[in-house]
Amino acid sequence: MSTTRAAPAQSRRRAAPGRGGSGPDERRLNWRNRLYRFDMRYMPYLMIAPFFLLFIVFGLFPLVFNGVVSLRNYRLDDPTLPYWAGFENFTRLAGDEDFWNALYNTFGIFLLSSVPQLLLALVVASLLNRKLRAQTWWRVGILLPYVTPIVASSMVFSVFFSRDFGMANWVLGLFGYGSPEAPIDWRADKPHSWTAIATMVNWKWIGYNALLYLAAMQSIPRDVYEAAAIDGAGPWKQLWKITVPMIQPVIVFTVVLSTIGGLQLFTEPMLFDPNAQAATGGPNGEWQTIAQLIYKVGWKDLNLGYAAAMSWALFLIILVVAGVNTLLTNRLSGGRK
Amino acid sequence: MKRSWTHWARAAAAGAVSLLMVAACSGRSTTDDASGGVVTLKINFWGDFGLQELKTRYEAANPNIRIQLNSGEYNAQHEDLQKKLVAGSGAADIAAVDEGFMVQFRGQSDKFVNLLDKGAGSYESKYLPWKWKQSLSADGKTQIGLGTDVGGLAMCYRTDLFKAAGLPTERDQVSALWPTWDKFIEVGQQYTAKTDKKFIDAGTNLFNPILGQQPVGFYNDQEQLQMEQGPKVAFDYTVKAVQAGLSANLVSFQADWDKGFTSGAFAVLACPAWMLGHIKDTAPGTEGKWDIAAVPGGGGNWGGSFLTIPKQGKHVDEAYELLEWLVQPEQQIEIFKKVGNLPSQPALYADPAIAEFKNPFFNDAPVGQIFPKMAQGLTPQYLGRKNGPTRVAVENVIRRVENKTLKPDAAWAEAVKEAEKAGKS
Repeated sequence: MSTTRAAPAQSRRRAAPGRGGSGPDERRLNWRNRLYRFDMRYMPYLMIAPFFLLFIVFGLFPLVFNGVVSLRNYRLDDPTLPYWAGFENFTRLAGDEDFWNALYNTFGIFLLSSVPQLLLALVVASLLNRKLRAQTWWRVGILLPYVTPIVASSMVFSVFFSRDFGMANWVLGLFGYGSPEAPIDWRADKPHSWTAIATMVNWKWIGYNALLYLAAMQSIPRDVYEAAAIDGAGPWKQLWKITVPMIQPVIVFTVVLSTIGGLQLFTEPMLFDPNAQAATGGPNGEWQTIAQLIYKVGWKDLNLGYAAAMSWALFLIILVVAGVNTLLTNRLSGGRK
Repeated sequence: MKRSWTHWARAAAAGAVSLLMVAACSGRSTTDDASGGVVTLKINFWGDFGLQELKTRYEAANPNIRIQLNSGEYNAQHEDLQKKLVAGSGAADIAAVDEGFMVQFRGQSDKFVNLLDKGAGSYESKYLPWKWKQSLSADGKTQIGLGTDVGGLAMCYRTDLFKAAGLPTERDQVSALWPTWDKFIEVGQQYTAKTDKKFIDAGTNLFNPILGQQPVGFYNDQEQLQMEQGPKVAFDYTVKAVQAGLSANLVSFQADWDKGFTSGAFAVLACPAWMLGHIKDTAPGTEGKWDIAAVPGGGGNWGGSFLTIPKQGKHVDEAYELLEWLVQPEQQIEIFKKVGNLPSQPALYADPAIAEFKNPFFNDAPVGQIFPKMAQGLTPQYLGRKNGPTRVAVENVIRRVENKTLKPDAAWAEAVKEAEKAGKS
C-alpha cells in the first residue's frame, strides 16, 4: 500500500523539472532505470488489473447490460413486441402486488435473520474470547456450518421443518407446542415460514460473524478490561461499553455484508418450497423473496426485461438500506459520526 | 486535482492494456470438427433414455458420426437449453424436452429446426394425435420435436389398505368401482369413513388428470383463458374431495410424500408408467401390496418427452438423420425393453414386447395393456402459451384450500383471479 501511494508523489517531483524541457538527466536514464520506473509506476496497476478486469466482465458489464435490458421488451415467448419499452417495466413494478409482497417478505426474513444473527455472534465471540479448554476445537466448530454447502444444509432443514414427520415439530412437541394431531404447518403462513428460513440463515452465518468479531476482539488490549473490572463493570457491561465500541468497524462491515446477503436471499427460500420448480415461494407467496421473484419472472414467466427492471430496483434498495444501516450502526455502537 | 486525474488515466490505461491481452488470448480456438470427416453429435437429456447401446450401433453403421450422450438433471437440462437459446450458441445438436416444458419452447419455434421441412410430416399418422400436437407451433406450421415416450395414466392403489377398508382388491373390480370422478370421490368417502385415513395424496394430483380429460384446458386455441369450462369442472371435483377430507395434502416428490408410500398416508394415487419405478425405489418394502386400475373418466397422460434440434447447431442434417433413426419402431421397442419408456406410436402397442409385459412389483399387473389404453383414450387438448404459469397459479390456490388458509367457497373466485394474473405475467 505504501509503495503505491509513494509512487505518484515521487513521479510528480521528477516530472516537474522534466516538463520545462528535456534535461540532461532524462537522457542519461538507461534501461535499468526505466525498468525501475515502470516497476514503480505501472506494475501495481498491472497487478491489480486482473481483479478489475474480472469485475468489468462479470460485475460492471452485467450491471449495465441489465440496465439496458430493463428498458426493453425482452419476452422469450413473444418476440413480436416492440424493441424498446421505455420505463414501462419500472412503472409496472410500482403497481405489482407480487413485487411488494416479495419485498415485504425479504425484509421480514432479513430482520428475523440479521438481528439475532449478529447479536448471537457477538455473544458467541465474547464467550470464545475467554480462556477455554479445547479453544481451537470450539472455534473450528462454530465455523462448520459456514463450510457446509448451502444446498445440502437447506435440504436437511427443509426436511427438519416438514409438517408430518419433521424434527422441529417433534422437538416443539416435547415442550407442549403442536401435537401429532395438529402439527405446525411451517409452510402455511408467513410467521412460521419466515422463522424457519431465518433459522437456516442464522445457523449458517452466526459462526462466520462470530469469528470476525473474535479476530477484532483479540486486538483489544487486556488492560482496558482489567481497569473496567476494577471499576466494577460486569461482563455484560464490559461487552457493551468496551468490546462493541472498540470493534465497531468490524460490526459495520458485518452489518453491510448481512444486509447484502439478506436482501439477496435465494437458495434457502427456494429449497424450502416443496414445489421448488415453480419458484412461487409458497402457495400464496408466503416466503417468496425478491431474488426468487426475479428468477420466476425471468425464467418461468420468460419476461427477462421485467426481471431486469426488478434486479435494478433490488440493487438500488440494497444501496439505500446498506447506507442506512451503516449510519445506524455507527450511531448505536458509539462511533463519532 | 490534476494529480488524481492522471492517476485515473493511468489506471484506465493499465486496465485497457490487460483487457487487450485477455482478448488476444480468447480468440476462436474451436476447430471445425468436420475437417476430419467425422461429425460429433451431442444429445442432451436427463435420467436414462436407454441410448447407450443404440449409440454404439449407430456409430458402427455410420463411421463418420460420433455421438456424445450428455445426461443431466431434469430441470437443469431445460434451463440450460433455454439459456443457450437466448445466448444463440452452445446448445446440443439434439435436445430432449419434456412435456411440461414443451409449451415454453414451442413458443420459440423459430429457434428450432422445423422438422416438417425435413420431411417429418409423414410421421404424423404414426403418432398419438395429442402427442404430435403438443410440439406443434400454434399456427400448425412448425413441428419442433418428435415424440419419444408417453407416461399414460392409471391409478395405483394399495390392495392391503383397500382390503382393510372392505373395498374390493381385484383390479377389474376396482376399475369398475370408479367409472367417473363422482364415483371416485364416493369410494374415497367410504374409505375415509371406515379407516379414518386419507384416500389420495394431493388435490393437485386430482386436478391435473381431470383437467387433462376436458376438451378445452385453460386456454382455447385463440389463446383466451377459459376458466369457466374445463378448469371449473376439475377444480370443483378437487375442492369437493379436499373438503370431504380425502386428501393427505402432500406435494409430489417431497420428503413427506415419499414417506407416504410406505406409511400408507394415502391409498391411491394417479400414476403414469414412469411412476412405477419411483414407487418401487421409494417403498421397496411394499412389494406385492400395490395394483393398478383404470383412471376414472377413461384416459390420461402425465409426462413424456420429445427430441428437438436447435437451429443453432452446426450439423442439423446429420442430427435429423439420427433423430429419425431413433424414433423408428425397432429402436423404440429396444428402449422400452431397456428402461420401460412407453413409446408414443400406437402401432407399437401391439408388439408382444409391450403388450405382454407384466410388472411383478404390482401384483403382475399387465402394465403393457393398461398404460397404452389410457394414453390412447386421451383427446388432444390445446395448451396455451401461458399454460405453465396458469397451472402453477391454480395449483397454489388448491394448496391453500388444503392447508386451510383459504375457505373452500372463496376458492374458485381466487383461482380465477390468480389465473388471470398468471395469464398477464
